[in-house]
Amino acid sequence: MESLLEFLIQGVVLGGLYALFAVGLTLIFGVLNVINVAHGEFFAVGGYVLFAAVVLLHLPAALGVVASGLGAFLLGLAVYPLLIAPLNRRLGRRPAGSLYLVLTLGLSTFMQSSLLAIGGGDYRQVPPLVRGILEIGPTGVSYQRVLVLVAQAMGINLARIFSLTLALGVGLAGVGGALMAPLFNVYPAVGFPLTIKAFAITILGGMGNLAGALLASLIIGVAESMVVIVVPSQWQNGVAFLVMIAVLLLRPQGLLGRSDAR
Amino acid sequence: MSRRPLLAIVGAATVLLPLLVAHPFVLSLATQALIWALLASSWDLLSGYTGQISFGHAGFFALGAYTAAATSKHLGFSSWVGMALGAAVAALVGLGAGFPALRLRGHYLALVTLALAELIRLVAQNWLAVTGGPFGIYDFGSFTGLPASGLARARAAYLLVAVIAAVGLGLMLYVCHKTRAGRGFRAIREDEVLAESLGINTTAYKLLAFGVSSGLAGLAGTLYAYYIQLVSPTVASAATTSLVIGMAVFGGLGTIWGPALGAILLFAINEGLRFIGVVYNLIAVGLVIMVFVIFLPRGLAGLRLRRKERTLRGDAAMTGAGGSGA
Repeated sequence: MESLLEFLIQGVVLGGLYALFAVGLTLIFGVLNVINVAHGEFFAVGGYVLFAAVVLLHLPAALGVVASGLGAFLLGLAVYPLLIAPLNRRLGRRPAGSLYLVLTLGLSTFMQSSLLAIGGGDYRQVPPLVRGILEIGPTGVSYQRVLVLVAQAMGINLARIFSLTLALGVGLAGVGGALMAPLFNVYPAVGFPLTIKAFAITILGGMGNLAGALLASLIIGVAESMVVIVVPSQWQNGVAFLVMIAVLLLRPQGLLGRSDAR
Repeated sequence: MSRRPLLAIVGAATVLLPLLVAHPFVLSLATQALIWALLASSWDLLSGYTGQISFGHAGFFALGAYTAAATSKHLGFSSWVGMALGAAVAALVGLGAGFPALRLRGHYLALVTLALAELIRLVAQNWLAVTGGPFGIYDFGSFTGLPASGLARARAAYLLVAVIAAVGLGLMLYVCHKTRAGRGFRAIREDEVLAESLGINTTAYKLLAFGVSSGLAGLAGTLYAYYIQLVSPTVASAATTSLVIGMAVFGGLGTIWGPALGAILLFAINEGLRFIGVVYNLIAVGLVIMVFVIFLPRGLAGLRLRRKERTLRGDAAMTGAGGSGA
């Protein structure tokens, strides 16, 4: 029973991490109608900047996190004028449809392999930015994870206020990549599986629906955490994909989406 | 049509040139290029021609490759049986993926096929007994009945792959241009609701497009398996899908032959980039996708077709179907 509670708490925390990633994606979709396939790559950029700042340059952790967010934000600033706007100009009033998807898939491939070219394929380890564990009942959550939750929750509000949604959305992903770098390792493809999970979450929650994304994140996080009780942990990642396919078959508008969403 | 002779010349030159040079290395590159050409064209049939965006062709390709490799390795099947099985399994799974596509459009279909491919990669990575896990399957043999080694083998393998790829391409071109299905595909791409109201059986044509496209992607996968003689989970990765879409966008969507040409050229460019560094070829693929989607939606195939009515063809492939996806 205790271990069940432990899995549940870990699942909620995991869901929280997913939520913050998925929310950035949802914000960008909500404002620009762009599904950013390259979202995870900005997360990876954040991780690399943190690695460079903290491990290579021995800068303070806080400065590293700021640099990560700024790095991803600045890259994000370039995306709209360089990619989205020229495409919109060429299309005129015709809808872009899936062209954005293909475009950002290209961006994803470009960024991932650029990171590989610059940083190499090695898994980079980053030490925890804050130490210690927050005790919750029988289990504990490291302050590192608590920090991620708090910082990102603040970031969401920021990105909602400002109109620079795309840059702020991916900047948020960059900060996320920095804060989570000590939990995951940093390598070029670190963000891509997260992107797909975030797709699963946005679809489960209802495309473009913030509350739905939050709810769906918790569901996926808890489900992933719980499923290891029944199946070996290497299958854990399949949960999100199966949920996504099932939702699209049974209720394409998602949990909280409108029925005309498709 | 003026592009026919050009197409025929390019096609013939592609097939004959490597035989003239007859160096194992050249033949090896040419063989792989043709495998990619078949895969890129199969993606085009579904996504460019019919407008049903698949982000999961790496998955169908891997299904074919793994089915062929696993049945040859564990059950001792000849490559002929393996090829038929690989194509059949991929076609069946593709048909299965086609059912959600009857309800979903644009974004959703792309995302669900992406998830399907990731699921296939996950199974490849973890079903150790059958797939060999992260190391993949090897030592399962090559094409049955070819000379054992040397130039003769390289030549025979090249010819075999060339014939199969040509048949696959020919089949797709035939279906798209000479049968009612081709008109059905185009109608679905341009305006599905209108097509339905005109009495076109969009359900049947969509499933047909899914079946043929994924089956041929699977067939390309079996060719890859027997030619490379190693199948590992990276085959199913999103990078493979990205490469295939890059090839198709490069060549020109909605033409079938354009993506084949794009595949051959992009493969050649990628192999050339290897001399600078292995990582640069995917950077190039990403750049090609971005530049062509933004500035040259008709791809290389469109460069000669300026005056034709196909001005909007490249975009129509994705905007028509995708517009209602949001």
